[in-house]
Order: sequence, then structure tokens, then C-alpha cells
Amino acid sequence: MISITIENLTKRFGAVVALDAVNLQIQAGELFFLLGPSGCGKTTLLRQIAGLGTPDDGRILFDGEDITRLASHKRNTGMVFQSYALWPHMTVAKNVAFGLEERRVAAAEIKERVARVLAGVHMEAYAQRRITELSGGQQQRVALARALVIRPRCLLLDEPLSNLDAKLRLEMRAEIRRVCKEFGLTAVYVTHDQKEALSIADRMAIMHGGRIAQTGTPGEVYRRPHSCFVADFIGETNFLDGVVAGFSDDRILVETSQGRFRGIPGDATWHPDAGARVRVSVRPEAWQIGSGDSADENSLTGRVEERVYLGETAQYGVRCDGMLIKAVELNPRSHRDFPNENASLTASSDDVVILPS
Amino acid sequence: MSRRLSISVFAGVLVFFGLFFLWPIAETLRGAFTDAAGGFTLVYFVEVFRNPIYLEGLANSFFLAVAVTALTFLLALPLAWMADRFLFPGRTFLTALILVPMILPPFVGAIGVRQILGQQGVLNALLVLLGMQDPSAPVDWLAEGRFWGVALMIALNLYPIIYLNVAAALANVDPAMEEAAENLGCTGLRKFFRITLPLVMPGLFAGGAIVFIWSFTELGVPLMFDFTRIASVQVFNGIRDIGGNPFPYALVAVMLLSATLLYGASKLAFGRSSHAMMSKATSQGGPRPAGRLVGAACTLIFGVVFIVAVLPHISVILTAFSGNWYGTVLPDSFTLAHFEMALGHELTLSSIRNSLRYAGLAVVLDLVLGVAVAYIVVRTRLAGRHFLDAVAMLPLAVPGLVLAFGYLAMTQEGKFFHFLNPARDPLILLVIAYAVRRLPYVVRAAAAGFQQTSETLEEAARNLGAPPLRALRRVTLPLIAANLVAGALLAFSFAMLEVSDSLLLAQRQQDYPITKAIYELFQLLGEGRFIASALGVWAMAFLAVTILGASLVLGKKLGAIFRV
Repeated sequence: MISITIENLTKRFGAVVALDAVNLQIQAGELFFLLGPSGCGKTTLLRQIAGLGTPDDGRILFDGEDITRLASHKRNTGMVFQSYALWPHMTVAKNVAFGLEERRVAAAEIKERVARVLAGVHMEAYAQRRITELSGGQQQRVALARALVIRPRCLLLDEPLSNLDAKLRLEMRAEIRRVCKEFGLTAVYVTHDQKEALSIADRMAIMHGGRIAQTGTPGEVYRRPHSCFVADFIGETNFLDGVVAGFSDDRILVETSQGRFRGIPGDATWHPDAGARVRVSVRPEAWQIGSGDSADENSLTGRVEERVYLGETAQYGVRCDGMLIKAVELNPRSHRDFPNENASLTASSDDVVILPS
Repeated sequence: MSRRLSISVFAGVLVFFGLFFLWPIAETLRGAFTDAAGGFTLVYFVEVFRNPIYLEGLANSFFLAVAVTALTFLLALPLAWMADRFLFPGRTFLTALILVPMILPPFVGAIGVRQILGQQGVLNALLVLLGMQDPSAPVDWLAEGRFWGVALMIALNLYPIIYLNVAAALANVDPAMEEAAENLGCTGLRKFFRITLPLVMPGLFAGGAIVFIWSFTELGVPLMFDFTRIASVQVFNGIRDIGGNPFPYALVAVMLLSATLLYGASKLAFGRSSHAMMSKATSQGGPRPAGRLVGAACTLIFGVVFIVAVLPHISVILTAFSGNWYGTVLPDSFTLAHFEMALGHELTLSSIRNSLRYAGLAVVLDLVLGVAVAYIVVRTRLAGRHFLDAVAMLPLAVPGLVLAFGYLAMTQEGKFFHFLNPARDPLILLVIAYAVRRLPYVVRAAAAGFQQTSETLEEAARNLGAPPLRALRRVTLPLIAANLVAGALLAFSFAMLEVSDSLLLAQRQQDYPITKAIYELFQLLGEGRFIASALGVWAMAFLAVTILGASLVLGKKLGAIFRV
């Protein structure tokens, strides 16, 4: 179990800056997620940690020890590749044994450890199978076993579930978390699937254009995004532009064209000046939907223009002064008529986030 | 592979090519363009075009290349088109069979053609038998110059190259493009000439350029036909006084420049459009079942072409087994005596041993160089990798005769490489010559393997603790083994039957490889052609085994190696 420190890491591919002076601290034993849209640099960062590629600048430290220039095969990291990269000319057992053979582990011990790790991922019955005879989920388990058997200092997962169907993805993500915690591993997990990240991450970093946009626990990132990019990337949200009108306690008052909003700054260390242009973010599920008049704060009125009924929830598009506002009602008791039924939307100031525009 | 290692391998390959590809060419050009005092001169070069003998030789070479290219297109185009469009009885088998003539040595087949078309040959005997010819006035089909015999033999050997290139190009044409034409009212032959033909043009041209260059400088077949008024044979005869006579140099320089110009022109004209062809077809058209009549016609045409193409070699086999064969359709009697004589001849066993040694070592060298080049081209981002790829393909554009002559020129007394002079021991020079000529095939085979094998597989091995070179050895090399074996077998069989290098570079009897031994045996009066045929049959048997091995290992991919 090690901690991983990334200092000012920069990686360029020609004119493209894939990593732009990235700083990151991953605690020992943590299941840490790198999340971002494609092209944001998350896989590049993971590959630098694995030593597959040399950074142009900056350092990578394992437990404080600088390993930036250490060759990949000496880092003792266990990586699960997006394509699994299982070798088709070897059996399951041979694939898993490879890393131990490279470490000159005695044959008897190899046999024992391979058997144990395959049992750990419920693949003991498939040891002599060829890779091509396995299903996607089984291949995923073998790839995980192959990375775990060498007792790596950290586990690196590159979109390990992207090739699986939806149901299997749900099963496997719980399995991966169980295995990481059971083996007490520091794990770095790259994905673009926010559900995967929100559901099993200890902490996560949102990446954007080669930089870290925000780090935090899933709850912190979801409820208190620091930027419009993060608020928009994780989950859905409604943005309203406005101007800072005043302050009360830790809340900020914002005057928008749709009325006055009272909310919390996403980043507690950020203090906008009065009169500064800011953006108000309210998630669809934060709205209380009513049919009455609007309150004097954190409230909009409009006409229901779209409705999607999903049973446990209903999604609405409400046209408020020209803007289409998304709202979600949990456990919808009555059908709202549409189009053209009037609706009011009201949010608690705890759920209203103020962001730099 | 680390960057530093990649760069040193890169540099090593370039040095090798500089020494054994560019240097011999440069040495030849120097001989062609410097006068006795050492200054630059165009006198010899111009004189080649003034001297009626050389001019006739060059003209014959040129007409031979034109004739062969035309003949191969005539044979291969309809075949490729039929195979692409129709399902007919025996299609799978016949489309594979049709490639066989490519690997039969034309140099040996020439003996067979002379047996069939000679004045006392099979064709005349058959015509007499049918009462269509007066036995006292036989027709000499080969005629004085034997030009058409040479052209026919080379064409029968090379048409598969056109076939493979055109078939590949046709297969790459998106059926939707032709459907679009039909949808707009353009059908039949009009569609073929307006849409299909322009689309396969790069394939046609690539194949055509190879065949042209190949036949332009072919040495073995004209020699076996005693067709001496052709530039390649004139060069061969000129090497006896290579030390003092600048004209062989000038002749080779003319050949080299023509070949380079043609190759460059084909790359320039179609290099870009061939990229556009790389886009995969969006819908699978595929051949459709032919009607009974069309199907039978296809089968018949394929069968006839195949039989005609292997007739020379069948004739060689019959010659080898025949007691006497003179003026009859089939040999009078059969005997194994020629095989015994061939085995008993002092040349035979040593030549087989020599060929195995030269070809085997050449293949080892090809594998090392080929894997290194392919790895750098496919797996690294080194700036010069495309240049390296192009350099490794150059031996396709430079005729074997030119290179062989260059090796000879650069190892003359007083030159830097005099210690490699083949008059002393041709081993090193022959191995390098064989290897350089066949390197493109091995590079292509290895590069295809690297491209099909995801780099992630190797990264996974490194991640699990295997140093880069061991990751390459344990993961990637086993996965591309089939490609390597196939490339190596091809290189091996071609090296076994290499003509120009062998004839020029092996100068002492004990150093002769098989091809030169066949040539020497053929020159013997009386039994000569029978013993030469027997040795030829041995060579073909060797070849059959290697090619069979290659196709078993590689299956269909064999064809991919002959495409450029």
C-alpha cells in the first residue's frame, strides 16, 4: 500500500499538451478515480504512473520516492488495460503466471498463487482455457487476476469495464471495489462513466484539457462543484447567469433576470466581489415543483413544455421566461398536464451553488 | 524497446544499407561516369546508345519488358476480374493453383520450353502425328531470335504478380461505388471503364511496374535460350573484363536509371490515390453465383491458363526422367539414370550444400534486419521511420543484376571491399546479396504482424515486470511467428533459386549454388540438358516443400507479401 504523489507533471505529444503541470496526491489504500471527457488526459496520466511513456516535466513519487525515470517493468504496478491485453498465445493460467515468472518466483509458489488469485476472482475452473474461449466478463476477471497476483504496489485500471454490457458492469464494479479493499490496494481507476466513479470511488479527480479541474469525494464533487465545467460534467444542472447582489453568513445573494437567488459558493475559498458576474447552478432534482406562485427567492415560474414519465421519477422541461429549465420529481403522485400547465420551481439555498461564470 | 536502442538499431540498419545497397550502386555509377583519368564523363553512357550492339541489346530488353508486361496483363486481368465477380466450380482451388507458376523457377522452365517448341520438339511432333505438318520441314517456333520464347516463359512466371495486385485492388473497391454508378444509369462495360478501372489503376500500375522492371533485367531465361542480344546477357558476358571495360558499367547504369525512373513515376502517379483506396468497403458485395455456362467458362479458362503455365516445368520433369526425347510427343523411354548422374556429378552435391548454406544464412540475416526495421516502422515514433521503410523497400525497384554487378564492382582489387572478392570466397557477399534482395518480403511480413498485434499486449508484459526486449520475445514474437515463418520461407525459396547474384558472384566451381550448377550442366554437350533437368527437379522439390510449409503456416496471407 503506497501513496502516489504527482508533481507538476507535463506531457506533450507534438504540439498537443496532454498533461499540463498536473498536481495530485493519492492516499495509501485509496480507490481513486480519474474522470473526464475523452481527450482530457486521464489515460495519459495513468500511463505515466505505469511508466508507459516518459513525462516531459515534473515528478511522480511512490511513498515519497521519486520513480519518474524508473523503467516500467521495475515499478511493480499492476495494470488492467481497457482492451485487457491478454495474450492469445497463452492459457489463462499462463497469462496470470507471467508476472511471477518474470520475478523468478519458484514454480511451486507460482502454481499456488495463481490458483489462489484465480479463485479470488471466481475463475479457478478456467485456468487451462484459451483466452479466446472466454467471455468479456471472464476476460476482465483474468486481467484483474493477472494484475493482482504480483502483489503490486498499486493497481492501475484503464476503463476496465467499458467493454462489458450494462448488467455485467454493475456486478464488476462492486467486485473491483471488494477486491481492492480486500487486498488493501492503492488503486487508480480511469473512466469516463460518472456513475462508476460516483458509486465506488473513495475520492476522485475531474480532469479537463490536461488539468485537474477538481478533486474530492463523490459527494463533494457532485454537491459542491468548483466550476461550471464540473457542475455540467457530473450529473445534469441548470445554469442561470447573474450578478452578485450581496452576502449573508456563508451565502451569496445573486440577482438574475429570473429573480433573486441565495446560494453557497461551490468552492468555499472563493469570494466574489459584489457586482461580479457569476453563474447559479441548480440540479433538476433540487427543485420542488408546485403549481402556486413563486416565492421571493430561489424560485421560478413557467409553463410545462416537456414531460418524460419514468415511473419512479418524472422529468419536466419548464419554460421560464424563455429558458427551458430541467426539473425532476421523485415519486410523482399526479400527472401534470402539458403543455401549458403552470408550474413553480423552488430550491433550498443548500442546493443552490454559485460558480464563477 | 528504449529510444536509445531504437535509434542505434535504426542507425545500424541504415549503415548496412549504405554499405551493401548504396555503395555497390554508387560504385557502378562511378565506373559508368568516370574516365581513365578519374574525371566525370558522359562518353561511355552516350556511347552505349551509339554502339549498335549495345543499342540492340537495350532495345531488345525494352521490347522484352513491354511484351512481358502486356502478356501478363492479358493473362491476369480477365482471371482477376472473373475471380472477383463470379462463384464458379473449383473457384477456391483454382484461384490458389493459379499462383503456383510464380514460384516455379523460370530459369529451369526455359529448358522445358525449348523441349516443347524446339524444331524437334513436342509441338512439332504432335502436329506431325495429327498430319498437320510435313515431318521433313519442321517449323522452328522459337525462330532465330527466340525472343518470344523468352517473353512467354517470363510472362508465365510473372502473371501471378499482376493477378494478386489486381485482385487485391478489386476486393478493396467499395461495392457501393459501383452501385452508385448503376443507380445513376451507368452499367456494364461503361461502368467498368468509368468506375472500376480507374479505382483499380494504382493496383494495376504497382503490379505492372514490378513486372516491367523484373523482365527488363531478367538474366536467367535469356541465357538458357542462348538469347545473347539483350542487355542483361551483354552485362553478364562483360564481367570477364570488369576491371578494364567501362561499358558494362554504363549498361548497368542505364538499366538502373530506367528502373528507378519507372518505379518513381509509379509511386508519384499513384502514391496518393492508393491511400484513398485504403478505406474499407462499407458493404460486402462479394462474388455472385455464375450461370452454368459462365461458370463452366471460368473454370475452363482458369484450368487452361494453369496447365499452360506449368507445361514448361512438366516438360522439365519429363526430360529429367526420359531416356531419350527427340522428335516425339512423349519421351521414348523413362529412366532414373539422369538423377544418378546428376547426383554423381561433382557439381551437384556441393551446389545443393552451398545453396542451403547461402540461403539459410541469408534468411537469418533477413529475419534480424526485417524484424528490426518493421519494429521501428510500426512501433516507434522515430522521425525517420517512414524513410527507413522506404529504404527497405528499395531493393524491389533495383534489379538484381544491377546489385550483383555493383557487388562485383566494389570488391575489385584496390577497392575498399577487396577482401570480400567473390573469386576468393563468395559466402559473405552471396549471403548479403540474397538477403538484401528479399528483405522487402520479410519486412512486409513482419510489419503486417506488428500491425495486427496490439502494442498493449507488450505493455502489459512490461507492466508485469518484463524488460522491453524480453516482452518483445515472450509476447510479440510468438504472436507474429506465423508471419515470420512465412516471410522466411519465401525469402529462403527465392534465395535457393536466385539467378543473377549466383551467376555473377559464384566464380569457383566449389562455390557454385544450385542455379549456377544447373546453368553449367546445361552447357554440357549431349546429356547436359537431361542432367540439368534432373537437378532442376531437385530444386523444384525443395521449393515445393518450403512453399507448402509456408502456405500451411500462413494460409491465405501468403498473397499479401507479393503486394507493394
